[in-house]
Amino acid sequence: MAPKRPQLNSEELAQLKWLLGGLLVLLSAVTVLYMEIDAWTLTAVTAAAVALVIARPTLPARVPSWVHRLAFPAIVIFFAGDLYLTKEVLPPIVRLDILLLLYRGISYRKRRDDLQIIVLGLFLIVVAGVLTVSLAFAAQILAFTACALGFLLVITLTEVPPAGDRTMAAAVAPADGPPAWAVHAHWGRLLRRVREVLDWRVVALGSLLFMGVVAVSALLFLAIPRFQLENSLFLERFMTKKARTGFSDSIKFGDVTDIQQDNSVAVSVDVSDPTRIPAEPYWRMVVLDDYREGSFRISPALRLETFSAERSDAQLRGIARARRGESVYWTFYLEAGVSRYLPLLGTFEMLRFRERQNFRFADRLGLVALRDEPVSMTAYRVEGMTQAGVLPDPGLANRLGLAAEAGAAEMPQLRLQLTEPDRAVLARVVAEIRGGRESGADEFGVKASAWLAARHRYSLQSRVPAGAGDSLVRWLDSREPGHCELFAGALVLLAREAGYPARIVTGFKGGSWNGFSNNFTLRNSDAHAWCEVFDPATASWRRVDPTPGAVAAGAEQTGPAAGQTARVDRSWSARLDSLRVFWYRRIVNFDQRTQEETLKAVKTATQETGRRLRQALERGVARLKAWLASPWDLARAGRWLAVLAALGGVAWLGWRFRPAMWRLFHGRHARREDPVRRKAGRWLARLRGVEADPAVVADLQRLRYGAPAGWPEPAAVWRKARRAARRRANVER
Amino acid sequence: MPASLNAIDAPRNGSADWSGPGHGGRKRRFTWNRLLWALVFPQRGQRIMLTVPGTLLTLLSLGIGSAAYNSANNILFITLSLLLACLILSGVLSWLNFSKVRWRLRFTPPWRVGQAAVVAVDLDNRKRFLPTYGLWFDLAARPADLAPAKAESTFTAKGRDVRAMLAKAGQASASARLHLSSRLDPQGSAQVEWTLVPPRRGQWRIELAGVGSLFPFGFLSKSLASDAAHEVTVWPAPVEYRRHGAAGARRPSGGEQLERAGSGGDLLSLRRYANGDSHRLIHWKASARTGQLVVRQFTAESSEGYSLWLRTDAALWTRPEQFELGLSLVATLAEDLFRCGQLIRVAIDDGSPLAVRSVHDLEAFLDRLAAVPPVPEGGRVPEPGARSERGAFHAGGGNRNLMTFAPDGARGVVAYVDGTKAASA
Repeated sequence: MAPKRPQLNSEELAQLKWLLGGLLVLLSAVTVLYMEIDAWTLTAVTAAAVALVIARPTLPARVPSWVHRLAFPAIVIFFAGDLYLTKEVLPPIVRLDILLLLYRGISYRKRRDDLQIIVLGLFLIVVAGVLTVSLAFAAQILAFTACALGFLLVITLTEVPPAGDRTMAAAVAPADGPPAWAVHAHWGRLLRRVREVLDWRVVALGSLLFMGVVAVSALLFLAIPRFQLENSLFLERFMTKKARTGFSDSIKFGDVTDIQQDNSVAVSVDVSDPTRIPAEPYWRMVVLDDYREGSFRISPALRLETFSAERSDAQLRGIARARRGESVYWTFYLEAGVSRYLPLLGTFEMLRFRERQNFRFADRLGLVALRDEPVSMTAYRVEGMTQAGVLPDPGLANRLGLAAEAGAAEMPQLRLQLTEPDRAVLARVVAEIRGGRESGADEFGVKASAWLAARHRYSLQSRVPAGAGDSLVRWLDSREPGHCELFAGALVLLAREAGYPARIVTGFKGGSWNGFSNNFTLRNSDAHAWCEVFDPATASWRRVDPTPGAVAAGAEQTGPAAGQTARVDRSWSARLDSLRVFWYRRIVNFDQRTQEETLKAVKTATQETGRRLRQALERGVARLKAWLASPWDLARAGRWLAVLAALGGVAWLGWRFRPAMWRLFHGRHARREDPVRRKAGRWLARLRGVEADPAVVADLQRLRYGAPAGWPEPAAVWRKARRAARRRANVER
Repeated sequence: MPASLNAIDAPRNGSADWSGPGHGGRKRRFTWNRLLWALVFPQRGQRIMLTVPGTLLTLLSLGIGSAAYNSANNILFITLSLLLACLILSGVLSWLNFSKVRWRLRFTPPWRVGQAAVVAVDLDNRKRFLPTYGLWFDLAARPADLAPAKAESTFTAKGRDVRAMLAKAGQASASARLHLSSRLDPQGSAQVEWTLVPPRRGQWRIELAGVGSLFPFGFLSKSLASDAAHEVTVWPAPVEYRRHGAAGARRPSGGEQLERAGSGGDLLSLRRYANGDSHRLIHWKASARTGQLVVRQFTAESSEGYSLWLRTDAALWTRPEQFELGLSLVATLAEDLFRCGQLIRVAIDDGSPLAVRSVHDLEAFLDRLAAVPPVPEGGRVPEPGARSERGAFHAGGGNRNLMTFAPDGARGVVAYVDGTKAASA
C-alpha cells in the first residue's frame, strides 16, 4: 500500500499564501515596464520592498501601528497631489494602484486584503493590456491567472467559512508581534515540503486543467457575440503620449539616424498577395517641404492646402482606383510610439481602421495623420494601394506656372532661405552637376545623386565640417561621409537651386519577410529619408533616393522575383515577431467580420471533413461489396478463413500471455507496474470493507505482493473477485 | 455507568448507510440530456451561493464585459473570457472534489440528558488519485416530535426580527458545522466528530442537513442536501441521590423462585456476550455451537429485590422539573439496582410490570422512561380510569418491596419502599 502523503499544516499554508501574495504584487508591478508610465521609482521601491518582506516575513511586525493608521490618508494625499500636479488621470491612477499594492504587499493581510491584491493587480494588467495591446499582456495575464488561482486555492484551504466554529489565527498577526508562521518561515524548507506534498498526478491534472482554462477562454473569446458599437477606446483619453521616434512634423538631421539604432519592430504588414511587394519598398509617412535653420518641417501652407479637416471615421476613401480583380489587401499593424503618421506605399483606394479614429487625410500627398499619438498598436487595412515612386500633382504645375509669371519663388517647395555664400556654393555645385547642359527633373535627380555619391560615403557616423553658413551646405561642399538625411537634404537644396520643387520624405525603406508568420516586417532600423522632386513635364513628384545603394524610382521589381530578393528572416527574433503578428492578426484584430469568417471557416471545414469521411466510407463499403461479390471458390474461402483464424489466434495469444510479454519487455525489476499486480491492487481496493471470501482476498494479496512463482492463476482469481463485487453490489442495492 | 451498559455500542438504527455522490446505490443511468440539464439547472438538493470573491468576480466580469462591448476592445474580451473560464474551472473542480465521496452518520448510544454524546461523520473518498479538500458538514439535533425551526413571520418582517424568531424556534434544537480541516486522500477515510449534550430526554433526531465546500477558489459555496438522519433515544439524566437505609426490604418467604440475574451459583440462562462481561463467564461449548460468544447468567444470590413503579398522575406531579427529576431518580435507581442484581420488576402507571432479567430489559425500561410525556406546567389532567396505588402490581400478582416515587417538597423527589422513605434526590 502506498505510504500516506504528508500534508501542509496551517503555518505552512499561511507561508505559502504570503509567498504567492508577494509574487502577485511583483507580477502586477511588472506591467510598468511596458506600459511606459512614469512610475519607475515607485515600481522599483515596490519590487524591492515586497521582495524584502517575502524574504523576511517578520519585518512588517516592526512597523509601528501609527504607520498603518496614517497609511490610507497618506496614499489619498499622494493621489490628490499627483492628479493636481500632472493634470492627467490615468498615470496617477496607475501610481495609486501600485502604491496600494505596495502597502498590501508589505503588511500582514486578512482575507479581504488578499482579494484586494488580486483586484488591484488585475486592474493594472488590464489597463496595461488595453493601452499597449502588447504581446507581453498575453504572457502576463496567463501568469497572473495561474498565480491568482493558486493564491485563491490556498486562501480557501486556510480560511474557515464565517459560520465555522474554528478560528483561523495563523494568518493574522497578533497585536504584539509577528505571527507564528512568519517567525518559523523558511522558504527552502517550505519548498521541500511542497515538493513532498505534491502528487505528480495531481500536478499533471492541474496543469491539464489550466490548459483547459486557456482553451475554454480561447473558445469563449471566439464565441462571444460581438456588436460594433463604434466607440473609440475610452482609456486613451486619459493618457497622453509622445512618439518615441522622430517621425513627426519636423526633423533635425540625425533624428532618423537615431531611429535606426533601434532594431525593434515598428510595423508588421500582412499582404494578401506577397508577390506584389516591391523588392525595395518605400513606406512614406511624413512629407517635409520647409527647410529652415538646419531642419525640415511641414510648411503651414502645405498643411492647410493638402490636409483635410479632422474627421472621425472608421474608413476613408483615397484617390487611387484599383483595376477590377487586381486589388491587393495590405493589413498594417503599427506599433505604439512609432508615429501618428501611417506608413503607406502611395495613394490608395480605401483605408479601414479596426475602430473609429480621429485623423486628417492629405489625398494629394498620400498621407494619413492621426490626431493623437497612438498609445497602443494601430491596425488598418489598405486596399488598392499604388506602389510606384511617382505621385501625380497637377495642381502644383498650375501654381508653378502662376508663380513663374509673378516672378517669385515663394513656394515652400522652392524656397531656399540661405545666405548668399551658401547660394553661391549651391549654384556652383548645380552647374557642376549639369555640366552646362539643361536636363529634366529625372535626369537632374540621377546626376545629383551620382555627384553626391561620388563625393560622400554613406555612414551613420556622419560629420559636418565646422564653419560659417548653413550646415547642410557645408556638408554638401565637403567630402565627409553622411547618413540618409544629409544626402536627401542636400539633394533637396540642389534641386531647388536648379529650379525644381523638391521635398524630403521620411518613413521606412525595405523590410524583411518573416518566414514563420509570412508577413512583412519593418523595423525601426529600416527608417529612412529620401526626396521627391517635382517633374513639371509629367506634373508629378518623382522619388529620388540619393543615398548610395538606393534603387531609382520606377526601377523596383515586383512579382515572384521580388519575393526572392526580399530578405527572408528566419532568426529567433523572427520567431518572436511571428508570435506578435499572430497576436495582432488573431486576437487584437479580431472583430465581428473575423468572427463571422472564422465561424464560416469552421463550418466549411466541418462540412468538408464530414463529406470526405462519407466519401471514404462509401468507397470502403463499395470496395467491400465488390470484394464480397467477386466469385468465391474453395481455395479463396480457405485462404481467407486461414487468415482470419491466424489473426484470431494471434489476438488470443496476445491476450492470454499479455502479462508474460509485458514482463519480457519490461524486465523483472518493474514490480509495481506489472499489470497483474496493478489489477490485483485495483480489486483489493474495490473489495475493501466488503465481507469477501478471505480466500479471494488472500489470492489477490498474493498476486499483488507475492512472488510470481507462487501466484495462483490470475484469471480464476479475477472471476472470484468479480463474483464478490457483484454480491456487494446486490447487497448495496 | 454499569459495566453491562458499556456494551451497548452498536447503533440500533442502521447507521451503516452511506450517502453522498460516492454512494454506490441509486445510481442513475447516464444520459447526455441529463448531463446538459444538470449543467443548466442545479440538481435536486444542490445549492450554489455566491461568496464575496464570487460576487466580486461576477461584478468584475460584468464591468469588463460592458467595457469590452463599449470599446470593442479584444484585450477586455480576453480578460472576460479568462474570468468566465475560471468560473467554469471552479465548477469542474468543485464537482471533482465532491465526486465519489460518501459519508455516513455514526453515534454511540446510550445517550443521557446532560452527558456529552458524540456524533461522528465517517468520510470515505473513493476516487482513485484525487484528494478531497475543505468539506463542511451541517449537523442538527432536535427532538423527534419537534418540527424543524421555522419562523412565523410575514414578508414585511425585518431580517433582525426573523433571525430572532428563528433563534427562539431553534432553542430546543442544536446544530453545528463541522469542518474537514485535513486533506482526504484518495481511497482514504476520515472522521469528524460533534460532541453535544442533549438538554432533554426523549426521542432525538440527528440529521446531516448538508455537506458543503468552498473548494477550490471560494467563488461559490456549494452544498449538497443529505438525507442522512437517525433517531436516538436520550435517557433521563443520572442524578445524585441519598439512600435512607434498607427500609421496607423484607425477606421472601421460603419456596420463592429467584428468576433474575445475579451473582449466585445457579445457572439462570445463557445470553450473548457484551463488552465488559468477564471472560470466565463465556460458555465455550455454546459459543462454538452458535458461532458467537455466549456467556452464562446466574441467578441472584439472594432474594432481596425491588420492584419499581412510576406513577405519572397529575395529582402527584404538578411541576415539570420535579417530574423530570423523578424520572432521573427512577432511571438511576433502576440502573444501580440492576447492577446489584436487586431489580425485579418495573412498571409505569398502568402498564404491565416488566420483569428485568437482562440488560435488554433494562434498556427497554429506560427507553420507556425516555418516552414518558412531560408534565405540562400546572400538572396533567388525570386520565379517566386511572388505577389506585399498587393497581398495576396487584394486577401483575406481586407487590413485595415495591418502590414508588413522589414529589418531596417544592423541588425534591423521594422514593418509598412499601411506604417508607428509601431514597431521595
